[in-house]
Amino acid sequence: MKEKFPTPYNVGIVAFIFMSLLQLQLFASHKDGYINRSSKLRLLQDTVPKLLDSVFELNFKSVRINSVQKPVADIETSGNATIHQFLKGEAAGLYVTERSGEPGTPNSMFIRGISTPIFSHKDVYHNQPLVVLDGIPLVGTHPFSYMIQAYDLDRIGPENNLLSNIDLSNIESIEVLKDMANTAVYGPMAANGVIKITSKKSVTDNKKRISLHSFVGVSARPQVTTINGDYENRFRQQFYDLYTTSGRYNDDDTYPVYLSDSLNNRYYGPSNWSDSYYNNGLNYGVNANISGGGSRSNFQFSLGSLQNAGIADDAKFQKYNARFQLDLQPLKWLFFHTSINGTRLNRDRNRNLRNRYAMMAYLPDLSAPLAPNKETYDAYLLEQDKGFDNNFSNILDGNVGISVQSGKFQLKSTLVADYNEGFRDLFYARTLMEENSFAANYYGYNQRLVFNNVALYDWKLNDHSSLFLEGASILQWDTHKYNYAYAYKGVNDFIKINLLRFDDTHADHLISRAFPRQLVYKFLDRTRHNLVSFYSRGTYNLQDKYTASLLLRYDGSSNAQPTERWLFTPTLALGWNLKNEFLQDNSLYESFKIRASAGRLGVLNLYDNVAQGPNYTAQIGYTGNVIVPGYNAFAGLVRPYEDGWIGYDMPWAYTDQLNVGFDFQLSKRRIYFSLDAYVKHTKNQPLGIPSLAEYGYAYNLASGMDVKNTGIEVSVGGDIIGNTNRDFRWNSGINLGFNNNKLTALPGGLDEVVIHDRKLKVGERIDAFWVLENQGMFHADAEVPQVNGVTKNYNGITFKAGDPIWADQNGDNRISSEDRVMQGNFIPKVAGSWQNNFFYRNFDLKASFYFNLGRNILNQEMSDRFNFINNENANNMNSVKEITYWEKRGDYGRYPLYNPWSAVNAYQATQDLFLENGSFLKLRQVSLGYNLSDIVGASLDGGNLYIYLAANNLFTLSKYSGRDPEVANYMGIDQGHNMLLPRTYLMGFKLNF
Amino acid sequence: MKRILFYLLFLSIPFSGCENMLDIEPTRVVSEENMWEKMEDTRAALMGVYGLTKSALVDRNAFWLYGEVRSGEFAIPVRRDLRAIAANELNANDVTLETLRNWRRWYAVVNAANIFLERSPEVLEKDARYTVNNHQVDMAQARFLRAFAYFYMSRIWGDVPLITSASEWSFNNKPREEKGKLLAWVEQELLKAAEDMPFRYSNNDIKQQGNYYNEQTSRWDGALATQNSAYAILAHLSAWQGNYPNAAAYTAYIDENYSHSNINYATTANLTSSSGFFYDKHSSQMFGFPGVWAHVEAAFTGHIEELTLAAPVVNKSIPDMYMTKETVVRVFDEAKDQRFSIDTLGNPLTEVYFTNFNGRYPIFSKIKCIMAGVSDPSFRIFSSALVFTRLEDVTLLRAEALAVLGERNGAVDMLNRIRENRGLLPYSEEANGDLIDAIFQERHRELMGEGHRWYDMVRYHKIKNNDPDFVKLINEGGIYWPIAEPLLQQNTLLEQNNYWK
Repeated sequence: MKEKFPTPYNVGIVAFIFMSLLQLQLFASHKDGYINRSSKLRLLQDTVPKLLDSVFELNFKSVRINSVQKPVADIETSGNATIHQFLKGEAAGLYVTERSGEPGTPNSMFIRGISTPIFSHKDVYHNQPLVVLDGIPLVGTHPFSYMIQAYDLDRIGPENNLLSNIDLSNIESIEVLKDMANTAVYGPMAANGVIKITSKKSVTDNKKRISLHSFVGVSARPQVTTINGDYENRFRQQFYDLYTTSGRYNDDDTYPVYLSDSLNNRYYGPSNWSDSYYNNGLNYGVNANISGGGSRSNFQFSLGSLQNAGIADDAKFQKYNARFQLDLQPLKWLFFHTSINGTRLNRDRNRNLRNRYAMMAYLPDLSAPLAPNKETYDAYLLEQDKGFDNNFSNILDGNVGISVQSGKFQLKSTLVADYNEGFRDLFYARTLMEENSFAANYYGYNQRLVFNNVALYDWKLNDHSSLFLEGASILQWDTHKYNYAYAYKGVNDFIKINLLRFDDTHADHLISRAFPRQLVYKFLDRTRHNLVSFYSRGTYNLQDKYTASLLLRYDGSSNAQPTERWLFTPTLALGWNLKNEFLQDNSLYESFKIRASAGRLGVLNLYDNVAQGPNYTAQIGYTGNVIVPGYNAFAGLVRPYEDGWIGYDMPWAYTDQLNVGFDFQLSKRRIYFSLDAYVKHTKNQPLGIPSLAEYGYAYNLASGMDVKNTGIEVSVGGDIIGNTNRDFRWNSGINLGFNNNKLTALPGGLDEVVIHDRKLKVGERIDAFWVLENQGMFHADAEVPQVNGVTKNYNGITFKAGDPIWADQNGDNRISSEDRVMQGNFIPKVAGSWQNNFFYRNFDLKASFYFNLGRNILNQEMSDRFNFINNENANNMNSVKEITYWEKRGDYGRYPLYNPWSAVNAYQATQDLFLENGSFLKLRQVSLGYNLSDIVGASLDGGNLYIYLAANNLFTLSKYSGRDPEVANYMGIDQGHNMLLPRTYLMGFKLNF
Repeated sequence: MKRILFYLLFLSIPFSGCENMLDIEPTRVVSEENMWEKMEDTRAALMGVYGLTKSALVDRNAFWLYGEVRSGEFAIPVRRDLRAIAANELNANDVTLETLRNWRRWYAVVNAANIFLERSPEVLEKDARYTVNNHQVDMAQARFLRAFAYFYMSRIWGDVPLITSASEWSFNNKPREEKGKLLAWVEQELLKAAEDMPFRYSNNDIKQQGNYYNEQTSRWDGALATQNSAYAILAHLSAWQGNYPNAAAYTAYIDENYSHSNINYATTANLTSSSGFFYDKHSSQMFGFPGVWAHVEAAFTGHIEELTLAAPVVNKSIPDMYMTKETVVRVFDEAKDQRFSIDTLGNPLTEVYFTNFNGRYPIFSKIKCIMAGVSDPSFRIFSSALVFTRLEDVTLLRAEALAVLGERNGAVDMLNRIRENRGLLPYSEEANGDLIDAIFQERHRELMGEGHRWYDMVRYHKIKNNDPDFVKLINEGGIYWPIAEPLLQQNTLLEQNNYWK
């Protein structure tokens, strides 16, 4: 059954050996030249084990336009912590939005849209780009733990944003690689694009260099309007006045106690909880970097620390970063490079009830929500303080590279290790929840090892042309593991011991003494993925005008089925330097080039079970209790009925991408322009199609979903006021990414399918909402139309006065899911930013705007608010009232007063009543800086000193009626629970000498 | 040159052995190749079928929503989904009802059983420890659980597709099988399964020798289906079909043999104790699915307590469902009933069935296994067993069958067995009215909250034929549930139940 070693690669090995032999001959004949060359050492930094990713980098390096608009030094002044925040809006075609202002929480990035529909958290993982730090492909968390979670909220564990492991002060450049010419060399992990981060080089001039960056600032507490029980009571009374006669809708109708007693000062008194909930936060950062050495050996060492604070719940995120880099050239032909980047992340999380309940998988009685009164809320917070929530991660990224160079032949060997571990130890005191304490311990790690070998040969064919050959093998081992335990009802609030002993050599390391054995739940899980890749690439360059590069690669993944283990993918990239061809003598054009690439990359399976085909697992649980491992305390093994049937012959999914673009730079006003147009067609993707129900399966994992993303990316900029006045300069740049996705095929030739209450239809977008269209309200029973004696109904429930009029799309006088229409989208059609920099003498003023256009948000928070009859006491997640329930949000005036008791569920969220325009423009950052180098430069031995003031998130322009159009979840739904993005003010300096 | 050759050698290392690198034995699933190798696999697969059956029964508390809430006899204070079920608005747009309209979980049971029946013989050849007898008993249980699943589905949806093979390489959609044919097949299957099922496991039963899977009797009592379980389902099936002669015969078999399974009648005290009949697992749970506290099987959901209990029994302000005082008094209308009766002042004699009777919400607290069978109200995690049938149920079913067949004395005997156990005087027509009515009244009281009531009502109205609305519901197929929309879309051979079109 297993496919043998791919024969084309056998040819590759022969070619490789041939190439090597060729080199040996050349080596002999060019010996003199070699000695001459070696006297003039190449720059050591070439040994930094980075992949040369692009043909354009090889041939037109000087005329490349940065994919990231802002220089790293400017991004640094925002005081942010995560790569997501650094890159938000900075690159055309990269869509990043901060879904929560809670500092250090995980986030997502989408390069050129999404190619897999998103129904749950784990689908977000499918769409993430690869992040490469100095040649280290970073490993993140794996969504497999959602298997044991009853609610699709936070993943268990610390949930720190692991992409905050870099300190910008150490970073030379960040690039966003989008097209195949750039990404193909990274292989299947790069199917969704690459974020490439390159660290600064060490000095080589035998001088020590020290640089220092520090800032301090605040996150400003937001101003909110609070409400109390009286307000809520009056809101509800409108409905009682309209739809009831006696104040009760029916005999069983109960009015919540907390609203019915107007003498209860806790609910009816002053609503001043916000003083204890919202806070100003302290932000600071410091980084020191020392670098020294000469050309044969040099080093770099840096230490940094940063804190970002949220504006509520004392949420904080702290990181400590240390980095060491060493380059040696012990022999003339031998180069050695190593770097180690270590990061520690601590996070104080939100205290939301729903996050806590979801983790406990237990909902207490919800009939008495937190009161809006400050004293009561403070008392509650005191109970919180009896417990703890230690949430931290350690990240270690390291690589060791050796490279041998003789003449034009170079061999590089790199060993890369990336490791991160997360811990979350928490304890909630008994008083916090009906006499039930709760403890949980999480330890998990993600680990990646890569062994990378590249042979390079720079073959100068003649005076006009050269051929650069490259062959590589990459072996990669990934492991994800977690140990998790939680327990309820400890003996008291003083013993908060860990449930798991760290030392698992003890026989009883899993036995807890402080919690009842019957209420301790333990989980161990591990998943692995190995990837083997070979590629060879030839890049031909003629007269510095034309370049062509062909890359052929073979990838084998352990998550692919044994019969379909290997995938062969080619990529062709072409470049034409118009400047050299036609404009040699035209001084206006600094550069002008046209690029085109077409290629294919495999798309990896995220889960190892796909590789097994039909398998057996322990999916025996049921809604609300997914962790049932068996029956009668024996492990059970059944087919994966919940995940769905997986057959054999599942091929690799792959993405085809065609990209054309051109860039030019003018000598006047430093104008640059870059345009890319792409078609990205991701094919053969597996999709769980709801089917085989009569065989017990929820889904049939079938291959054949095709999604096409098309788009145009533009970045343009230059000096608006430039050289005319030496003292004042204004330059401006804008980048825009237009993106559109379309489902082009479903498995098995299906035309449409409904999954997780979202519809997928061939020819439509994959991120559309699926809603009923509101057309008003029935004001009297008599208004409800009748056809053939059947009154218009909703799934058989007759409409009455006070019910919404929903558009009857198919005209059958019956409203059902068939009348729901696909509307809007949650991935914006246009996203980008607009940067303006003003310089006057040594001052600079920089302002950057961030915008999303053509995007919708489903305002579920308002749906929940109006749906109070269903939500009150329903004992599900939607009926959990956070303290922020007592905040006036949204625009009540937008919504008609339907009958909230109606069985048609008048305020259900899936109607266009709650679908809003989510487009916005934000003034993301303003900074004012002053360069003191002229004044102090002499005493700093030619160094620099720069001081600045900055403000982030100053204002938002949007039609959205909710709080902030950015803060919606991964499916474009605003549930109102995510923390607002803080408005921050900071001041800082950068010094180097 | 040397160094380059050395380097080439170094480079060649990764070229070997990468094929092995791509074969990872998964730790999270068992692959096709590694299953059906040893007796631990058959045990895991069989326990899997039991586990799936329990999950199908308790998912979103379906067992009680189908069996109790649908009767409309419970009052529903807040939950809109339950209210829709009680009002027979089974098409309501709600995630709970959507789940209850969907039979997929039951077909998971069928599929797992089908796979077991087809694949477990492989282990016989591969593992010498796996005996023919062990295999036979395993097969009988898989067959039984598959038949039970079909019986259960037929009570909910009427006609359902009959799928008797795993068909793993050629899944094909099937139309619904007419319920008469389906139930006839179920009956044959149950009889066939019963032939190989022991009365008790690890008890040197003639059908099952030695320790079953090397575990003792106590491990299996109350957890596995026995021959008596099979006959109890046969009796229910026959009664549901209106085939009372068969129902009488099957119940007679149990009446003769229940002691072989170590089954006893429960005392009222035991029945209603929080650590009594419904707690843990034991042989008197004739066919049930335990949630054993000691096995860490207690759960927040999937137990009737989640629906019925509230303050003061547990910390929850309003129960999901409760019985109004009026209903309670109407049902428990006899003095000195140990389960519930009121004195002349209107105060309850005991609080075992109903707590807080005179409060706003009388709490139906017959089953109240909180944690280790304690009365601590603070943590709503429950450990009661789902008991599908017990001796009292079978006895009353026998009474019903005999009454319908006109064997009045036998019926009265059976009825009096239960009445006597609950402190009631023997049945008399003058005091207790019509015999059939009295038997169903007794079932109502005795089996309240055990998921029987709706089906009892259907049988009662079929026998009595005097309630035009209900009879109309029966005749038009309104006693069945609508089939979930996604099922109809997946399988175009299916047709919606007429009543719900």
